[in-house]
Amino acid sequence: MSESSPETIGEVRNYVESPIIMATVRIVSPFVFTFGLFIMFHGADSPGGGFQGGVIVATVMLMLGIAFGIDPLREWVGESALVAILSVGVAAFLAIGVGTVALGGGFLEYHVIETELGIYHATKYGIEAVELFIGVIVASTITGLFFAIDAGKNDGDSE
Amino acid sequence: MNVELPLLAFVLGAALATAVLRDVLGAIIAFATYSLGIAVVWVVLQAPDVGLTEAAVGAGVTTVLFLLTIAKTVRPSGERVIERLDWPALGVSVLLVGVLLTTLGALPEIGSPDTAVLTSEVTTYYLENAYSEVEVKNAVTAVLAAYRGFDTLGEAVVVYSAGVGLLVVLGKEVFA
Repeated sequence: MSESSPETIGEVRNYVESPIIMATVRIVSPFVFTFGLFIMFHGADSPGGGFQGGVIVATVMLMLGIAFGIDPLREWVGESALVAILSVGVAAFLAIGVGTVALGGGFLEYHVIETELGIYHATKYGIEAVELFIGVIVASTITGLFFAIDAGKNDGDSE
Repeated sequence: MNVELPLLAFVLGAALATAVLRDVLGAIIAFATYSLGIAVVWVVLQAPDVGLTEAAVGAGVTTVLFLLTIAKTVRPSGERVIERLDWPALGVSVLLVGVLLTTLGALPEIGSPDTAVLTSEVTTYYLENAYSEVEVKNAVTAVLAAYRGFDTLGEAVVVYSAGVGLLVVLGKEVFA
């Protein structure tokens, strides 16, 4: 994708290598990622949850894409891995819901995990697991949108 | 100090700037500012969960996605900063706002103790039983992930469908 295209008039340069941005993102991104996970898990006891945390985790990918270039990032993530992660998130959420039904409860009635399998505080862990999988779905979808919109600059009719 | 009036002026100003700025980049930045203002409005209205979503999605992610989208556009030529007003469109917008404003009188006052939400049996049940039944302190999360978990599954699948729908429209199998 980075090869110089013959027509330079319609070429879109939306990546500028900047040591300041790279250094900043290198330092900030682990904290933002941790904050996203915190919002996801601590959403049970404070404002937040899977949707908000997932978006914050996705902003880490956006930051990395802006700092180090979107094409290298896409190769690093793996194009099909992203779709796989997205599908796994939905499947895992469904599995928890159907799993509680299989244990004899209602859909997402986490209490049966505690009574049937003997895991204490299963309701709280169940909610946190669901939040995590929501976060996985949201984060991978936003990253996917980011990649797909960026890919649009390479093909299609450019004026 | 009363924070509502300056906040309202800020949000309205940002919304107006988004609508009338001629430069697309400027309009996107104004739109991000507007989202930030709306996020603060949510916090003022005691809805931190929604405020967090607005700040992350509205001010953060959509701004980046919009910026990527305009990469193929060009700056409009000329010196004008403000877009020329489209009077028929403005008339329709003012009319719509007028119609919506007629419902304003039916809304309860902010923080009023006898709103339908606060006096409803359902709310009282959630607030009283959320911690003992589902062991989470945030009642919003209790409703979202436990009491109405099926709805939330639907929401998560909507996000998933957005991704899949994009792939279907683009005719691709991966996000590339």
